[in-house]
Amino acid sequence: MAFDDETIDILIGGYLSRTAADEDFGSVRRCGGYLHAVTVIGRDLKGNLSAQLSDHTVREGARGLAAVGFVLGLVVPPLLPLTTTAGAATGAGMGLLLHRFIAYELKRHAGATIPIGGAGLIVAYPKTAADKVRPAVKRAITVAVGEAKGHHVRALTGAVADARHKAVTASV
Amino acid sequence: MPNPPDRTRLPIRRAPFQGRVDRTLAGSQPDWASIAPIQAPDGAPNVLLVLIDDAGFGNPATFGGPIATPNYTRLAENGLRYNRFHVTALCSPTRAALLTGRNSHAVGFGSVGEFSNGFPGYTALLPRDCAPLPRILRDNGYSTAAFGKWHLTADGQQGPAGPLDRWPNGWGFDYFYGFLGGDAGQWDTCLAENQQIIGTPAGFYDKQQPFYLPDAMADKTIEWLHGVRAQDPRKPFLVYFATGCSHAPHHVSQAWADRYRGQFDGGWDRMREDTFARQKQLGIIPEHAELTARDEAIPAWDDLPDRLKAFYARQMEVYAGYSENADHNVGRVIDAIDELGELDNTLIIWIWGDNGASMEGTVTGSFNELTMQNGIPLSDEMQLQLAERYGGIQAWGNQIVAPHYSAAWAWAGNTPFQWGKQVGSHLGGTRNPMVIHWPDRITDKNRLRSQFTHVTDIAPTLLDVAGIPEPTHVDGIEQQPIHGVSFAGSFTDADAVERHTQQYFETIGNRAMYKDGWWLAMKTRRIPWVLTPDALAPYRPGVWDPDDDPVELYYLPDDFSQAKNVAAEHPEKVEELKDLFWTEAEKYQVLPLLATLGGFFGLSPPLPDVTKLEFRPDVQNVMPGMIPRIYNHSYTISADLIVPPQGVQGVIVAEADHLGGFSLFVDDGRLTHTYSMMGVFIYRQQATQPLPVGEVSVRMEFVADAPKPATGGQVTLFINDKPVGGGRMEHTVPVRFSAYAGMDIGRDNGGVVDLSYDDRKPFAFTGTIKKVVFDIKPHLSTVDEQVLHEAAQHGHAAHALAG
Repeated sequence: MAFDDETIDILIGGYLSRTAADEDFGSVRRCGGYLHAVTVIGRDLKGNLSAQLSDHTVREGARGLAAVGFVLGLVVPPLLPLTTTAGAATGAGMGLLLHRFIAYELKRHAGATIPIGGAGLIVAYPKTAADKVRPAVKRAITVAVGEAKGHHVRALTGAVADARHKAVTASV
Repeated sequence: MPNPPDRTRLPIRRAPFQGRVDRTLAGSQPDWASIAPIQAPDGAPNVLLVLIDDAGFGNPATFGGPIATPNYTRLAENGLRYNRFHVTALCSPTRAALLTGRNSHAVGFGSVGEFSNGFPGYTALLPRDCAPLPRILRDNGYSTAAFGKWHLTADGQQGPAGPLDRWPNGWGFDYFYGFLGGDAGQWDTCLAENQQIIGTPAGFYDKQQPFYLPDAMADKTIEWLHGVRAQDPRKPFLVYFATGCSHAPHHVSQAWADRYRGQFDGGWDRMREDTFARQKQLGIIPEHAELTARDEAIPAWDDLPDRLKAFYARQMEVYAGYSENADHNVGRVIDAIDELGELDNTLIIWIWGDNGASMEGTVTGSFNELTMQNGIPLSDEMQLQLAERYGGIQAWGNQIVAPHYSAAWAWAGNTPFQWGKQVGSHLGGTRNPMVIHWPDRITDKNRLRSQFTHVTDIAPTLLDVAGIPEPTHVDGIEQQPIHGVSFAGSFTDADAVERHTQQYFETIGNRAMYKDGWWLAMKTRRIPWVLTPDALAPYRPGVWDPDDDPVELYYLPDDFSQAKNVAAEHPEKVEELKDLFWTEAEKYQVLPLLATLGGFFGLSPPLPDVTKLEFRPDVQNVMPGMIPRIYNHSYTISADLIVPPQGVQGVIVAEADHLGGFSLFVDDGRLTHTYSMMGVFIYRQQATQPLPVGEVSVRMEFVADAPKPATGGQVTLFINDKPVGGGRMEHTVPVRFSAYAGMDIGRDNGGVVDLSYDDRKPFAFTGTIKKVVFDIKPHLSTVDEQVLHEAAQHGHAAHALAG
């Protein structure tokens, strides 16, 4: 995978139930396409947040490639209902610590915007994997896909911004 | 021998004093008859009148349906099945006609109890010159009681200020236990008893044996019967047992629903075909009857995505279990009467449905019955996800949801007919099963009766068999005649002359005229569950000409199910029946047509002039139609509190529950506001700092974005006039939070708004609340205000029509 000049897609899916987001989370992970990161986050009916990360997400974090940063500015669009899945731990050792850190950051930043009872799925993948990734997202009520090109980190950041913009625009 | 009392004038006048009064007891002679209670005529039977809610001709197994109804069947096997009995296609109108013996429009119930308007046929206020059956029986020596659903008291009269004369006691019931509105949660019912709203019972909080209304109704009925008999072993009784089942919310335990696990996996088209076959096998419908076609508004089961089929099948499993439970609890009442030794002399009339099965769940069904009424468009995938949010499809029927099934299941439940509830033009909305059981009189057991009968016939039939005349005057007021006719002759004679030969039907513009076997159906083109502006545009005043509606003509002796439209072959009959309908409509106050929808077309009631309401801390169970009208407006909720040194927690004010409502409460020392937009969107704002000790003023301020329905807006929380937190609410409830859950000060009775304190419910406030004030801010523009007012009426109508 070329890191210096690639096009990255960010997909943000919105769900009314954690179950549905979980299903797509699993479906995306099994889709066979290359994934930079897959994350599901949401809020249960009592208001508690939790997040689940794929190994890919942790891997990205380990590389210092803004796996945390790409969600820092995440704004859940007003009509996007989001929930969560219980955070099944992935990885071990450093991976586990990193997982906890990323999950913490996810919850900290998404907490203000994810509505009670909703869930969101965030997938980062190279454009070349879109044919496999997109069909795997089957149950999202709303889907916004952003893209950006360039160095990996810059592309990731740009794609997040584009997805955010599209998601907000779509919900207005 | 004393002369028999004159029963045509009620209350019955007592005979002149027959004794003698002197200055002292010496020489005085008491007249003991003067203090004896009024006696019913000799031989007057006990009456058990059972009415199931929102159910169809093809639902109970007794009539070939898929739902096990062993108690209904045992009565039928020892009594009579009626397969041409008719209702009005809507809740309140059928109930009004049932209890008065008069056409529903003629007694002000052209529509439902919540929807009282200024046309005579639609006031939802029983006229004084139409004394109802329970009043007549009570004044003639019966003990009378009603249990369960009422739906005959106007929405704005359901509080202690009343007026109370149109509550059940005012209709002539000695005792009432149930709910006043159109539906109620079966787990968390906001109950009324006699002339008081008593709220959700303590049993709601019992996790081991939670309250369940159908069980409680049977318990209360049996207890009442025992009490009556303990006092008077001979006095006849009238028990009106009107179940909340099978109206939404479809609430029943998983065990009952699981009795049907897998039974509906073949879908609604299969269910319909199977029911139809059984109906023929049982002889419920004639051999020549045809199964009517599916309208294109209802999808074919085979066209559904496979991933949704389990979701849809569970909807019907729950409905079936819920309905079977109703049969079970009616059976308990019957057993109690039997145990008293009075079953043979109790006339039981059991009607399975006040209208056809309800299609108000729209095609998708809904996890929350009020989403449709609030105009929230939800796709089948959204509905499935919301069901998953609240426990998954196996939780459908539990306390946490308020479900309604798909319109397609309702249609299948109305087999073999077209359409269903609200469609007064067709038999799917108007023909329901009836079983009559009376061993003392009916010896022709397990037989079918096919005389055309109508819900208005019940009251005159009961008066007939009790030997009680129709009163000419009640409380000095000359009475309108009863419109129904007795069909008691059919109890003993299968070939008894059919006396009800002509009947109009009208529900929300859908109309029919029946005469001597001919049925003219005039259905508006609107899909019954669609109330969008586009769908209503063709019915605007000046645009709609009812005579342009499509007509269908059926000859029922040859066409039991209305499968063969012969309008083209009999144009003269079409015209004759059209003309007759207009004559009847004028006679019985049906006009103006579509008065029910007047709110959609600018005929709204005057704007309310009260914008500020104060509630003291002991106010509870304010019925949902009477809470402050905060919808679509900016408003504030403020409260004066005393916070003790140890701090406080608990609810300051809460309306309804997590499926629609709001709560202003204190948790973890912080002022919090939670707002549930029908359980779809849930917003919570919390203060950033704790409440101080001592006298504290708190306030929640909502500033609406725009004068429009479901407006978003900004919430700000204040403590002692200082902002301490807030947040956005992108969507608000435009119409109504709940069909039945009430508003409480100082606690959150019943289901709670914020599930974070569910394990502490009712989460009573631990400090002191001096008062809570709602201040609703009128919009600056009078035009805006009027537009919103009309929008609220639209929603109100939508809610009412689901009654």
